[in-house]
Amino acid sequence: MTKYKLNEPDFESMSLEDRQKALGMVSKGATRRDVMSWMMGLGATAIASGSVFGSATAAWANTPKKGGRLVIADDQHGPADTLDPALYASSNDYFRGRMFFGSLTRLTNDLSYEPELAEEVISNADATEWTFKIRRGVEFHDGKTLTADDVIYSMNRHLGENTVSKAKSLVDMVSEWVKVNDYEVKAVLSSPNADLPIALGTFHFKIVQDGATDFSNPVGTGPYKVAEFTPGVRTIGVRNENYWTDGAYLDEIEHFGIGDSVARLNAFLNGDVDVMANLPPKAIAKVQAAAGKEVWSVKSGAYINLACRMDLAESNNRDMIMAMKHLMDRERIVKGVFKGEGSLGNDHPIGPAYFDHCPDIPQRELDPDKAAYHFKKSGIGSTTIPIVASEIGPGCVEQCLFLQREAKKIGMNIDVQKVTTDGWFSTVWMKAPISAQSWNMRPTANIMMSLAFKSDAAWNETFHQDPEFDKILVEVRGVTDPAKRKEMYCTLQEKIHNENGCVAPAHRNYVDANASYVKGLAHVPINNFGGSECAPTLWRDDA
Amino acid sequence: MLSLIAKRLGIGLITVLAVSIIIFLGTKILPGDAAELRLGQSASAENLAVLRERLGLDKPYWQQYLSWLVNFVQGDMGNSLSGDTPISGLIADRYQNTLIVSGLTALIGVPISVALGVMAAMFPGSTYDRVLTFTSVTLVAAPEFFTATLLVLFFVLFLGMGSTIVSGSTDGMGLFELIQHFALPITTLCFVIASQLIRMSRAAVLNVMASPYIEMAILKGIPRRRIILRHALLNAIGPIVNVIALNLAYLITGVIVVEIYFSYQGLATLIVQGVQTRDFVLVQSLGMIFCATYVVIMLIADIAAILANPRQRHPK
Repeated sequence: MTKYKLNEPDFESMSLEDRQKALGMVSKGATRRDVMSWMMGLGATAIASGSVFGSATAAWANTPKKGGRLVIADDQHGPADTLDPALYASSNDYFRGRMFFGSLTRLTNDLSYEPELAEEVISNADATEWTFKIRRGVEFHDGKTLTADDVIYSMNRHLGENTVSKAKSLVDMVSEWVKVNDYEVKAVLSSPNADLPIALGTFHFKIVQDGATDFSNPVGTGPYKVAEFTPGVRTIGVRNENYWTDGAYLDEIEHFGIGDSVARLNAFLNGDVDVMANLPPKAIAKVQAAAGKEVWSVKSGAYINLACRMDLAESNNRDMIMAMKHLMDRERIVKGVFKGEGSLGNDHPIGPAYFDHCPDIPQRELDPDKAAYHFKKSGIGSTTIPIVASEIGPGCVEQCLFLQREAKKIGMNIDVQKVTTDGWFSTVWMKAPISAQSWNMRPTANIMMSLAFKSDAAWNETFHQDPEFDKILVEVRGVTDPAKRKEMYCTLQEKIHNENGCVAPAHRNYVDANASYVKGLAHVPINNFGGSECAPTLWRDDA
Repeated sequence: MLSLIAKRLGIGLITVLAVSIIIFLGTKILPGDAAELRLGQSASAENLAVLRERLGLDKPYWQQYLSWLVNFVQGDMGNSLSGDTPISGLIADRYQNTLIVSGLTALIGVPISVALGVMAAMFPGSTYDRVLTFTSVTLVAAPEFFTATLLVLFFVLFLGMGSTIVSGSTDGMGLFELIQHFALPITTLCFVIASQLIRMSRAAVLNVMASPYIEMAILKGIPRRRIILRHALLNAIGPIVNVIALNLAYLITGVIVVEIYFSYQGLATLIVQGVQTRDFVLVQSLGMIFCATYVVIMLIADIAAILANPRQRHPK
C-alpha cells in the first residue's frame, strides 16, 4: 500500500461531510476524473485524490441496502427475559436493548466511545463533572421528543440505596444527575472517573421515557420498535421509520434463543436462522467450510481461570499457585479448546483487547522445571489438590484436565471435581478453595479490576488483599497523562500476574456465525454479536 | 357409575394435593433459592434480603405454601419468581404448543398403531408380524433424540424439506398448516408412542385370543377376522386404552427432549427452566396441571374400559 504524506486526506480520515459528498458523487455515477477534480479543487494531490475515488467506490459497494428480514438466534432465553434496561441479565436482553433503545454514548470497536443521544460529552479537568449535551430532534417511538427529563429519569434508576439496577457499581461514584436545561445534563461525581462515558455506553444505561415503569411494551429511541415480545419465546422488532440517524436498514428482526448448541448449529447451517450466537469451537471448521456461511469472531479480553482463595490454608500456598501457573499449557488450550479463536492468557485479566493492556509483562509459558521447583518448595507432596469445575463456559473444565495431566508428570496430585452448572454461583463460586471460572470482558481495565480484584470488591474471588493495589487502582481513575496511566496500569497487571491466586491461561474470542449476506456486523469485544452493538447497523446484501 | 366417577375425582384431588406438597418440598431441598439464582453472581447479603422479602421467600415454608395454595384455588397462579411475569401468561403460550403437538400426534399416531398391532395379532408368526415386532422393538430402544436426528438428517439435510427447528407463530393456522409446521416433532413422537402401542395392542388381543370363549368361536368356524374384530377386540380394549392414556399423559408432560431438539416452547421445557431458577411458584402451577392431566386422562381411560367391558363394573 502506498503511504501518503500525513496531512494528505485519505477516505477514512476525511470529515463525515466530505466522505458523504464523495460517496454521493460515486453513487450518482461520477467518474474517477470527477472525484479527483473535486478533491484537487480542495487542494489535495492527484495521488491522494485517486485513492479517495477507489475507497469511495469500495465503500459504495458496502453501502447498506434497505429492506429484508433477519432471524437471529441467541443461546439462552427463558421466562426471566426482560425489556427493562436496569434489569438486563443476559446476552439476549442486551441485544434487544440495542434494538429498541439508544444510550448517551456508544462503544466503538476499539473500546473508546462516540456520542450517540448525547451530541457532545465534556468533562472538567479532573474528571469529576461530566456534561452531556443532548441531541436535538430525536423522537421516541411514540413521537415524543427526547429531553433532559428522560435522561435524568433513566440515569437515576441506577442510583441510590434501593435501586435494583444490575449495573449500579459502574456508576456508584456519581452522586447526582443535574438538569442544566432541556437539552443539557450534568453528572456530579464523588470521585474522579475518566471512563464514565465508556461505562454509560454499556448495556444497562439505555434511555427510557421519563416516568416509564411498565416494560412489557416499552418505548425507546432505538432503530426498531417492539412488535412482539414474549419472554422465552420470541421478540420481533419492526423498523423505526423515524430513526434519527443512519441505520434501521431491515424491515424486521426476529430474535429468540435456541438453548441447545447442536440444534442452534443445525438451524443455522440449514438456513433457518441467519445469525447464531456462541458457535461451539468444535463447529468452527464446519462453518468455515460451509458455502455462504462465515465465522464472526471478535478478539476479546474474556478469560477462563482458576481462582485460588488466598484466605484459606489449603489454597493459599504461593508456591503451589506458582507451580500451577507454570503447568498451564496455554498454547494447547487456545489451539485445542478454542480452535485458535482465542489468545494466550498471562495470569491477569487484562488481555490485549483492552485499551490499557500492558505488553511489557513477559508471557508465562509451560515450564515443568520451574513448576517442579515451586512444587518442591511448596512442600505439599502427595496431598491431593481438589479443583471444582463446571461447564459454565467453554474451556472451564478442559483447563483443569490439561493442568491435571501436566501436574501428574511432576508428581503433583490434582483432583478435578466436575459439578453441574445448576446453582454454581450460589454453592461453589467463592466458596470452594479452588474453582474454575469464566469471565466476560468489561469495557475498561479499571472496571474489570474494580469488579473482581480490588480487596473489598464483592466479586474478589481469590480474596487477595493488597492495599497498595487498591490505592493505585483508585488513583489511576483520575490520571489523564497517558505515560503515567500506562505505567500505573502495568504495575496493577504485574501485581496480579505475580501475586494473585488467579491462574488465567487463556482469553477466548466471542465467536458467533452469520450467513454471508448479513452485513453491518459490529466488533465491540465485550459480548457476543459484537458487544450486542450490531442491531442498528445490520443489513442484508440480497435485500 | 356416577358414584364411581365422584370417588375417582375425590381420590384425584387428594393425589393432586399430595403432589403439590411433594413438589414444594422438592424445590426447597435443591441448593439455592429463587432470589439467589436470580441475582446470580451479583448476590450480596443486602440485596438478597430485599429480594427475598419482595418475593415472600423470607416467610416460613408452611406460610409460603399456604399462601400459594389459597391463591391457586382462587384461580390466581401468581407471578413468576424469576422474572415477575404472570405465570398464566407464560403457561398460556406454551400450553397451546403442547396441546397442538400432543393432540396431532395422538390423532395420527394412535389409530395407525392400534390398527397395526391388531393386524399383527390376526396373523401371529407371519412375516408381517415378525417385521412389525422387530421394527417396534428397535424403535422402543431408540431414544427420541436419536430418532429426531435421523429424521432431520433424512428429511431436512438429505431431501431439503422443511426446517431443523420449529419457529414462528402458529396464529391463524389451519389443521394441515399446523401438521406441516410441527411435522418433525409430530413424526418423532409418533414413532415413540407407536412402538409401545403396537406391541401392547398386539399382546392384549393375543391374550384374549387364548381364552375359552374364543376357542369356542373358532370351533364354531367363525372366520378369524370376525373373531378378532367382533369378539376379542372389545375385551382387549381395557389394557389398550390404558396404554393410550399413559402415552397421552407422556405427550403432555414429558416431551422435553423433543421440545429442546426442535427448539419450540412447550410445557416440559418451561418446568425445567422453572426448576433451574428455583421458581417454586411456576414449578408448582405446572405440577398441578400435569397431575390434573394425569388424573383426568386415567379417569377417562377407566370409564372407557368399563363401558367396553361390563364385567369390570363389578370388581371382585
